[in-house]
Amino acid sequence: MSLETIKPSPGFHNYLPKEYQDLIEDGPFHQKRKVSELGSFKEAIEEHPMCAGCAMTLFIRLVYLGLPSLEHSVIVGTAGCGRLAITQGAVPFIYGNYGDTNCVASGLKRGLDIRFKDTPKDVIVMAGDGGLADIGFHAVMHSWFRKEKFTTIMLDNEVYGNTGGQESGMTQKGMVLKMAPNGKKFEKMDMLGLAKTSGVAYTARISPTNPTKVVNTIRKAVLIAREVGPTYIQAYTSCNIEYAIPTPKVMDDAREVEKDRYGYLEYFSDEAKEYWDKSEADRKKARKAQVK
Amino acid sequence: MGNVNATPYRVVPGPEGLLPPAATIMGVPLPEEGEGLVEGRITTEEEALEAAATAMLTRKNPTLFPGPMIIWGWNEHTREKAQPFFEVANEIPGVRIIPMPDYRPIYPKIDPEAVINPCHPNLTIWHNKIEACVLIGVHCHYANITLKMIRAGTNCYTIALCAEAGHEDAMASVPNFDAEKVVRFRDALIKVKKNGIKPLYEGTGIIPSGWAQIAKLKGEIPIKPREASIDGEARGAFSHELVTGLDETAE
Amino acid sequence: MKDGAKVEDKATHQVREDDPRDRVASPPAPTPEKIEEKKKGAAAQRIVDPDYLMIDAPREREFITGSEAAKEAIRRANVDIAIAYPITPQSETMQQVGYLYAEGYIKDYYRAEEEIGVMGAIAGASRAGVRALTATAGPGLVRGIEQIASWPGGRLPSVLLVMCRVVNCPLAIQPDNVEISYLLNCGGIVLHGENQQDFYDYSVAAFMIGEKPEVTLPVAVAVDGFFVTHARGWVNMPAEDLKLPPRDCYHESVPMMDNENPPIRISRDAPIQKSNFISYQMHASWQQEVFAAQERAKKWINRWLGGIIEVVNPKAKTMIVASGAAVSQSREAVRQAEELGLDVGLIKIKSIRPFPAQELIEATDHAERIIVPEFNYVGWLAKEVKSTIGRNERVIAGPRVFGGMSMPTELIMETIVGSKIT
Repeated sequence: MSLETIKPSPGFHNYLPKEYQDLIEDGPFHQKRKVSELGSFKEAIEEHPMCAGCAMTLFIRLVYLGLPSLEHSVIVGTAGCGRLAITQGAVPFIYGNYGDTNCVASGLKRGLDIRFKDTPKDVIVMAGDGGLADIGFHAVMHSWFRKEKFTTIMLDNEVYGNTGGQESGMTQKGMVLKMAPNGKKFEKMDMLGLAKTSGVAYTARISPTNPTKVVNTIRKAVLIAREVGPTYIQAYTSCNIEYAIPTPKVMDDAREVEKDRYGYLEYFSDEAKEYWDKSEADRKKARKAQVK
Repeated sequence: MGNVNATPYRVVPGPEGLLPPAATIMGVPLPEEGEGLVEGRITTEEEALEAAATAMLTRKNPTLFPGPMIIWGWNEHTREKAQPFFEVANEIPGVRIIPMPDYRPIYPKIDPEAVINPCHPNLTIWHNKIEACVLIGVHCHYANITLKMIRAGTNCYTIALCAEAGHEDAMASVPNFDAEKVVRFRDALIKVKKNGIKPLYEGTGIIPSGWAQIAKLKGEIPIKPREASIDGEARGAFSHELVTGLDETAE
Repeated sequence: MKDGAKVEDKATHQVREDDPRDRVASPPAPTPEKIEEKKKGAAAQRIVDPDYLMIDAPREREFITGSEAAKEAIRRANVDIAIAYPITPQSETMQQVGYLYAEGYIKDYYRAEEEIGVMGAIAGASRAGVRALTATAGPGLVRGIEQIASWPGGRLPSVLLVMCRVVNCPLAIQPDNVEISYLLNCGGIVLHGENQQDFYDYSVAAFMIGEKPEVTLPVAVAVDGFFVTHARGWVNMPAEDLKLPPRDCYHESVPMMDNENPPIRISRDAPIQKSNFISYQMHASWQQEVFAAQERAKKWINRWLGGIIEVVNPKAKTMIVASGAAVSQSREAVRQAEELGLDVGLIKIKSIRPFPAQELIEATDHAERIIVPEFNYVGWLAKEVKSTIGRNERVIAGPRVFGGMSMPTELIMETIVGSKIT
């Protein structure tokens, strides 16, 4: 039913602003878009005030591309740079209080499940390292312990970018940032390890260097959350401002960091693995049947 | 809190000032079914519709602001309102249709000919010199904040045709506005014209607003026009010492 | 709970079982067989018109605790999700609500991590379009208040039961309603019940008031802990096979976050901040709208709570203005004053937000003295009264007790008489 919300009432199409006409005529809703098509169709995300060259922005654009069902997704965020872009997305976006994403998402997902028994509704938390590992830590952990069925995506720029460059729990040890005048005193928090320990069904660590991989990982995480349990993606999305990365070098930095300490990592729980292998096999079978 | 004023508060076209009070707080009640609200006073539905019709026919640059709940055909109720909505438009000579398709803060700025936005609805009113407008299909929360901001800074006569309980902050409002009542509004427009109200823009049809709408209604492909470059002379008109630098030799 | 340990509370003249200050006693959990049996009851419930359930339906009288009264309200309120976290003296109610979930009266229920988690999840569930409930007390309320203060701006109807106790420090679990003062400026509706009957009635009405499209606000129903929650009183209730209609979420003042209603670009909680693409005036107007919505709730409070205030002896020269358990004490003081031949009246304030300003101005206009007894140190109700009415030198801001003390009627009588009563 929800594709109805992007169909104009009779007679209204021509009165809409251009961005909505484009979204209807050439957007991501009525046909599935691929990474290779980026730049040639109207994306879900509208003009936004993110900094030029921001890796996080690229990653967020890819998230919209990877969501298996844009018309049945709801995104939850909190304070941080990312929400400046997510606010402009053609997917309902909840901006709650500080660090409350995973409590809000728990209530939201359960509420949607009560109302929509036959239509899976995907809830996706997308917030920064400060929002998820520091202020929202307890809520993240408890949503995992409770096995809440939604995806948590950390936009890890290893700093509080939005408030002007303070140290976060995900900052690397030794980094000199605001509020860490003598360098950070402790290690980057092992959120991936914590995810595994607390029973997250699917965990991935990723850098935005390979867009297709990002899109596939997002899709996998959302589908597993729908069927099995909580999923977690930790993405390196550098802050070129606070880490003084020259704009043209943002992707070079991402490749270097990926090689050095942020390489692609995946972890499936047994149940998630079983589900994913089976659903992949089913999809292959269906494709083959289609070809025949 | 509460109506503590001796004289009843009137909800009339502004500009009322920086921050007008919410009409509710000033003691203005909501109309019941069958009633309407005109300038803060309960009337019959018919009187409210006629007041609204008169304003739309006689004030400058009348504009319809359809909101998400009528623009998007997401259920039977919205789809069945579409046709009478355009019938209303056809009864108001020289009317513009400027949508409020969503409520997000539009970045970097709105095109005031193409949209109205609850983050700063006054910009659309000012730019188009709108002196009478209708909000329809806008969620009540956003309608109320929009109505207050319009009353604060503009001289626009606001009309809220609300599917729920109605709006105290509008100059004219009718509650429970379903498709049938949209038809009644069309009839009110016809009636007041018959009774001698001469439309300000008699003989004019719907005036397209905004480049995309203009092109679409002509059947052309909309192409965004370039931002008009500011020539030297015009730039000078807006400049001051902080732009050109202080003249250090000046005494 | 110890059998037969019935004690009459001298302060409230209510009969308590056991001494609730030592431990929070609760009835045993139902057995699986009993749950199966009760499920039939849940399935057999029928939806009735809210006016019927709240006003017209025949009622029967039961002698129950406030917590049980709340449970009975929730049973009839067609709640979709309840989210719990224990804190004395609230736990009793939310575990009873848990049994309602087990019996099929509620569709989802869980014990969350703590109050920020609870109140955040309520915000999420309310945005999903379901009817959501939680309850808290004292320190739990203060812990959750960042969330609670954001519900009204989010236009999130939900119901929060508040079983008042003190706010630490020092730690105490005693009744003292200072926490209501923290709720006053949040923007939501705040009802304050006097007794078990009010707790039942206000809790049912709360859902319907908050979900009215022109209101669309959360409603807190506060009662004084222990005096109401753990003491028994007579409660008149309609049959338990009746329930309210479900939440009608597409007829509220904001879109639902379900991706089923327009607009598709909903940023319902638009981050309004210093920037060049949004107006400060929007935030100002937004705040005004929240408090305007409170005011619109008056119509429904009047309808379903039988008036926003109750006036006893309206012509008396000395008027007591009270809310919550202080009303019970004041009723007794009015009775005793009458025996002494003194002319004393009482105004019961049922709703603190919206505050019945005009009603209070009219009801106190003739009064020479206005006495405001309260169960807290700060005197929040006296401040409200003083800032509302004219000639406020008439207001006597007290007597007040706090820290869990009960309020002997003599205290009020002494204020009335103006000297010690021996």
